[in-house]
Amino acid sequence: MDTLYQSLVTVNPVTLIAMICNLFIQLYILKRFFLDKVKAILDQRRDAADRQIADAEAAKSQAISMKQTYEQNMRQAKAKADELLQSAQKTATARSEEIIRQAQQQATQMRAKASSDIALEKKKAINDAKNEISDLAMAIAGKVVARELTDADQSRLIDSFLDELGDGL
Amino acid sequence: MEVEINGARILATFENVPVLGTVQITQTVTAAWLVMLIISGLCLWLGSGLKVTAISRKQAVAEMIYTSLVKFVRGNMGPEFDRYIPLIGTIFVTSVVSNLISLLGIWSPTADLMTELAWALVVFVLITYHKIKASGILSYLKGFLDPIFILAPINVMSECFTPVSMACRHFGNILSGTVISALIYAALTAASSALFGLLGSSLPVAVVTAAVGVGLGVLGKKGKKKLPFVLGIILTALGALAALTNLGADYPWLTVGIPAIPSLYFDWFSGCIQAFIFCTLTTLFIKQAAGD
Repeated sequence: MDTLYQSLVTVNPVTLIAMICNLFIQLYILKRFFLDKVKAILDQRRDAADRQIADAEAAKSQAISMKQTYEQNMRQAKAKADELLQSAQKTATARSEEIIRQAQQQATQMRAKASSDIALEKKKAINDAKNEISDLAMAIAGKVVARELTDADQSRLIDSFLDELGDGL
Repeated sequence: MEVEINGARILATFENVPVLGTVQITQTVTAAWLVMLIISGLCLWLGSGLKVTAISRKQAVAEMIYTSLVKFVRGNMGPEFDRYIPLIGTIFVTSVVSNLISLLGIWSPTADLMTELAWALVVFVLITYHKIKASGILSYLKGFLDPIFILAPINVMSECFTPVSMACRHFGNILSGTVISALIYAALTAASSALFGLLGSSLPVAVVTAAVGVGLGVLGKKGKKKLPFVLGIILTALGALAALTNLGADYPWLTVGIPAIPSLYFDWFSGCIQAFIFCTLTTLFIKQAAGD
């Protein structure tokens, strides 16, 4: 059988229709099995990259807010520490003043007590001296009453009395 | 000698088919199926096992093809025509594979005008759709009466010639490549039979030619001169082939390898550039139709 050929340029409607159908079948296959798949992968990759960037930005803003909180806390802590220090100093000053004041007061009290004690002792001593003098006077009077005193005796008695008195004074 | 250049081979003829009449199934359709098989296989291969990270070399190629296609369409049409990416990609890849399949000695579907006409008609439908969509059916029809109603037939013709010219441009380039390839092949066959008929008529002539060639080659190699060296190799090859012819291996030796050089332009370059031009025109025409 001879092989038959079409002429070089010819119109064959069946071929034309078949080629149009082929084009659409090929279009479907290319789209379904290649373009869509690659597109899906590229989209996924872009989404992943976007997500990573978003995550990084969120982490950054979180870090910034954390830093701000931290700095604020630090500032507050510093202020509090200053306050504490100041109040402590104030307390200490007040306390030391109080202690000094108390000590002064105590010293004053002690001095006052000492001087009152001294005065009391002195008074007591004077009272004692007075008692002794009166005792002596009584004794002398007794002695005078018991025997007649000579003038000499009298003067000697008075002298001794005065001596005793002088010792007591 | 006779050089015969034919259209597609007719594989089967069905007489008296209802509606269509005589139906001829040609090589074009079967070759197109082969092209589709190749492309679909490539699509399945490239489109399988895709990953988001740590991609393979294959996937890098697939992504590069996809992004360059998208860039081409967006560069020519803008981002609002993204839905034509698959169509333009299909036309481009089908055209390239169809053009280059002739290198394997298989009938190129694009060497049949019907293939390009099929694509061009689809594009024409899209162009018309966008024209009507952009300006409304009435002003589209009224456009044919511009600038004066007498010119209406010419306007209709110019509209119809858009797909015809697109199809013929592509077809003509591929056909010319096929024709030139056939002519070169025939010419080389004739030259080959003349040359080896002369050299291979007697064994001594062939042997002497080869010996002279070897001598020249050795001298050229020793003297570090390129011309005698190359000439020597050619003469040696010619002598050896002439001897083979004389011994009974009669073959048009010149058709081996040499037609590949013009084929670089007529098949490879022309095949790729025509696909590119067809797609560029498609994008530009659709864009223009939508823009008016």
